[in-house]
Amino acid sequence: MTRQVAVTGIGVVAPGGIGVPAFWDLLSGGRTATRGITLFDPEGLRSRIAAECDFDPLAHGLEPELVERADRYIQFAVAAATEAVTDSGVDFGAEDPWRVAVSLGSAVGGTTRLEHDYVQVSEGGQRWDVDHRAANPYLHRAFSPSTLASDVAERFGAQGPVQTVSTGCTSGLDAVGYAFHTIEEGRADICITGASDSPISPITMACFDAIKATSPNNDDPAHASRPFDAHRDGFVMGEGAAVLVLEELEHARARGAHVYCEIGGYATFGNAYHMTGLTSEGLEMARAIDAALDHARVDPTDIDYVNAHGSGTRQNDRHETAAVKKSLGSHAYDTPMSSIKSMVGHSLGAIGAIEVVACVLALARQVVPPTANYETPDPECDLDYVPRTARPRRLDNVLSVGSGFGGFQSAVLLTGPGGRTK
Amino acid sequence: MTTEVTQVTVEELATLMKTAAGVTVDPGELERRADSTFAEFGLDSLGLLGIVGELENRHGRALPNDAERCKSPRAFLDLVNVALTTGA
Amino acid sequence: MSGSGIRPRHTAVTGIGVVAPNGLNADTYWKSVKDGTSVLDRITREGCEHLPLRVAGEVRGFDASALIEETFLVQTDKFTHFALAAADAALQDAGLSSTAADSPYSVGVVTAAGSGGGEFGQRELQKLWGQGSRFVGPYQSIAWFYAASTGQISIRSGFKGPCGVVASDEAGGLDAVAHAARAVDRGTDVIVVGAAEAPLAPYSGVCQLGYPELSTVEDPTRAYRPFTPAACGFVPAEGGAVLIVEDLERAQRRAAVVRAIVAGHSATFTGASHWEQSREGLAHAIRGALDEAGCAPEEIDVVFADALGVPEADRAEALALADALGPHGSRVPVTAPKTGIGRSYCGAPLLDIVAAVQAMEHGQIPPTPNVFDVCHDIDLVTATARPAELHTALILSRGLMGSNAALVLRHGPGSAV
Repeated sequence: MTRQVAVTGIGVVAPGGIGVPAFWDLLSGGRTATRGITLFDPEGLRSRIAAECDFDPLAHGLEPELVERADRYIQFAVAAATEAVTDSGVDFGAEDPWRVAVSLGSAVGGTTRLEHDYVQVSEGGQRWDVDHRAANPYLHRAFSPSTLASDVAERFGAQGPVQTVSTGCTSGLDAVGYAFHTIEEGRADICITGASDSPISPITMACFDAIKATSPNNDDPAHASRPFDAHRDGFVMGEGAAVLVLEELEHARARGAHVYCEIGGYATFGNAYHMTGLTSEGLEMARAIDAALDHARVDPTDIDYVNAHGSGTRQNDRHETAAVKKSLGSHAYDTPMSSIKSMVGHSLGAIGAIEVVACVLALARQVVPPTANYETPDPECDLDYVPRTARPRRLDNVLSVGSGFGGFQSAVLLTGPGGRTK
Repeated sequence: MTTEVTQVTVEELATLMKTAAGVTVDPGELERRADSTFAEFGLDSLGLLGIVGELENRHGRALPNDAERCKSPRAFLDLVNVALTTGA
Repeated sequence: MSGSGIRPRHTAVTGIGVVAPNGLNADTYWKSVKDGTSVLDRITREGCEHLPLRVAGEVRGFDASALIEETFLVQTDKFTHFALAAADAALQDAGLSSTAADSPYSVGVVTAAGSGGGEFGQRELQKLWGQGSRFVGPYQSIAWFYAASTGQISIRSGFKGPCGVVASDEAGGLDAVAHAARAVDRGTDVIVVGAAEAPLAPYSGVCQLGYPELSTVEDPTRAYRPFTPAACGFVPAEGGAVLIVEDLERAQRRAAVVRAIVAGHSATFTGASHWEQSREGLAHAIRGALDEAGCAPEEIDVVFADALGVPEADRAEALALADALGPHGSRVPVTAPKTGIGRSYCGAPLLDIVAAVQAMEHGQIPPTPNVFDVCHDIDLVTATARPAELHTALILSRGLMGSNAALVLRHGPGSAV
C-alpha cells in the first residue's frame, strides 16, 4: 500500500508581510516588496537593494530568551513553524514523538551571525588570529547548520529523524522532497518541513556582487526584480522562511484534518556543469521534472501551473524556459509559469519552500500568482509568464522547480483534489 | 597617469589567470593564441570575473561591463587597455 | 528503505577513500587504527595557537596540489579538497573512475557537512572588513557554503544523478549514507557519499569554543578519554571519508569487490546537549536500524561507539546498548578508534564506517587509544586490537545539536543476501 503525503498546515515569513494572509495578499495583488537595504549600510556595494522582512520576533510570540540566542533565520523558521503547526491542528502531545520528523533547509545558515561576531573578534578584519574573548556565547549555534532543525524539533517535541538540508538555492525544495520521502517510505507520519535564510548581510551581498549575479538597479528597487523580462539584470536578494506540515494522508484523515493538497512527486539531479553557470538547454532540470511527474503518475499535459525558479538572471530564465519546454512539450505554451521572486526577491535556500507554499495557496484559491514587473518579452523566454496580474484558473496539478549553486536541479509536484488524472 | 603604468601585458594576464583562476598558461602561448577563447585555456566566467575584480582593485577604477564578457585574451586586453589609457 | 523493514534492493559498499589525521589513504588509516596509534597533538595551525582549544586531530602532509587540479583548488576550501581527494580514491577503489561518461544520471553525490569552508570564509571576511567589499573574490559564493563538496565532486566527475547535502551535526554522517542507500533503493545505480570537514581555522576554532562538550585539556594523551572517570569532552579533528555505495546486483554483475552491505539505519532526536535523554534516543535508533536490517541483537559482533567523552553522554551510550541489545549489550565488543584521531564532525562516523568495514575484512577489532580505566558496563577494546570473526557491525553517532543515529553494516562477501 503506497503511503500518500498530505499538506495539512502552512506558515510563512516573507517580505511584504508576515504570515500566510499577508503573503497571499502580496502575491495575489502582484505587489513587490523589494527596496533599498535597511538592515545594514550598503554603501560601496554594487547591489544595494533587497526584499527585507519587517519582522518583530517578540510580536510574533517568540520568547526573549530565544530571540537572544537564535539567529534571525532561526527566528523566521520558528515563527513560520508555529503558524504552520497551529494551522494543521496537530496536537503533538497526542502524537508518537518518534514518528514526528523535521526536515528544514537553509543555504547559508548562520552566516549573518557568523559575520557579525567575526567583526568583533577580528578587530574589524584586522587580525587572522582572532580573539575568542570578544565572541558571543551563542556563536557555536551559528557555526552548526543543524541548529535550525534542532531548534524547531525541540520546540514541538519531534523525536524522529531531524535533519537540515543545504543544497544552495534548492534547499527549500529539497527539504520538502526529503520530508516527502521520509513519510512516503514510512520513517515518520508527520514531518515539519520547509526552509529559512536571512542572507542580507555584507558578506553575502558582497559575494554575489563579485559575480554580478544581483541586480544593480538601485534607483528603482520596486521594479528591479524582473524575471523573464528582456531587461532583467540579475536577482534581488530576499530573506524569509516557509514551513509546511506534511502528514501521511490516512493519518491526517483519521484526525479529521483539513488537507490542502498532496505532494505527489519530487526529484533532483545534478547538472555536473558548473558551480554557478547553467546550460541553455536545461536538460537536467527537465529530467527532474520528468521524474517528479513520473513518480506522481501525472502526465505533462496535466500540469496546470509551473511555479518557476525565475530568479531574473540572464542565464537562469533562459535555462528554465528551455527545461519546461523540453518536459511539457507544446503544452508548455498553454501552461502559465510565473516567478514570485519578482515580488519577494530570492531568499536563497528559503525561497524553494516559500514557493511551495505559494503553490499550496494557488491550489487552494485556484489563482495563479503573477510575475510582477514583466513588461518586455525576451525572444529566448517565450512562455506565458502571467504578467503583473494574478489569474483565476482551474488548478489540479502544479509544479515548483528550482536551480541551485552546485548544479542542483529539483522539482516538486503538488496535486489538488482533482489531480492525478493518469 | 602614464600609459606605461596602466597597460596590462600578456605576461600580467597569464599571471592573473594563474593566481585568480588556477589556470597555468605560458605567456608566449597566450600571445600566440590570443584569439582563442578563454574557455580553450580552461578559464571560466568566474575566473574572468576574478581577474576583472583584481585589475579594478589594482587600478582603483571600474572596468567596462563588457570586460567579463570578452571571449578571447586579445579582445579582453584590447578592451581593458583602451579603458585604462583613456580613463573611460 | 521501506516501512515494512524489508529492503527492496541491497546496497553494497564497493569503494572507500580516506583523508584522515592518522592516514592519507585507506591503507595507512587502517594500519594506524589497528595499531591504536594516537595522532592527537597540539594545534599548530597558524592563528590558532593562542586559543584555549589546545589539542586537535590535524590532517598533516596532505598535498592537495598533487591530487587536485589547480582550477578546483583556487575555488574551494580545504574541506572540499579533502572530499575531492577521498572521492577520487573511493572511485578508484571501486573501479568506477570512468563511470560518468557512460550514463551520467546513474551516479549521484551526497555529502554531509557540519562546518563548511571556514578557512576560505575567514579569508574573505578579512578582505571585506579589512579592505572593502570589492576585495571579496568570485569564489566566496561557492566555497564557503555547505553544498560546495557535493557540487564540486559532481562537476569534476560528471555525475548527474541525485545530488544531496545533509548539513548536520555528527550523526549526519550516518544519515548521509542512509540517504545514499535510499537513493539506490529508488533506482540510482551508484552514489558517491561521504563527509570531510576542515574546522581548524582560527575563527572556526573560536566558534567551537561555545560547545560545552569541547575538551580544552592541554595534554594530547588526556584530552579525549571517553568511558573513563577522566572523561573531559571531545577533541575536534579534520578529514573524513567517502564511500561508493552501489546496487548490489549491479556490483556483482560487474564483478566488483563488495566490501560491505549497508543493512539498516535509523535516526532520532533528543535535543541539543540533553545527554541523559540521548540514552532513549540512541536505543530507539539502534532498534530501528536492527529492525530494518532484519538483524537480531545477538548478531552484532562489534559496536563502533559514538564515545563523546562527556560523562553523562558516555553513561547514556553504555545504557542505550544495554537497553537495545539486552544482555548482549555488555558482552559485545565496543570500540572507539576516534579517541586517537579526534572527531571530525560529520566526517567522524564516515571514518568509523571505514574502520568497521576494514575490521570485518581483517578479523580484527581495533582498540580505543588513550583509554584504559573504563568505568561503564561495556566490553571496550583497549590497548591492542582483538582478533574476532566479524560479520555484522553497529555504528553509532550523536550530534552536538541533538541527533542520534545507528547504522548496521554486514560483511560483504560472506553475508547472506
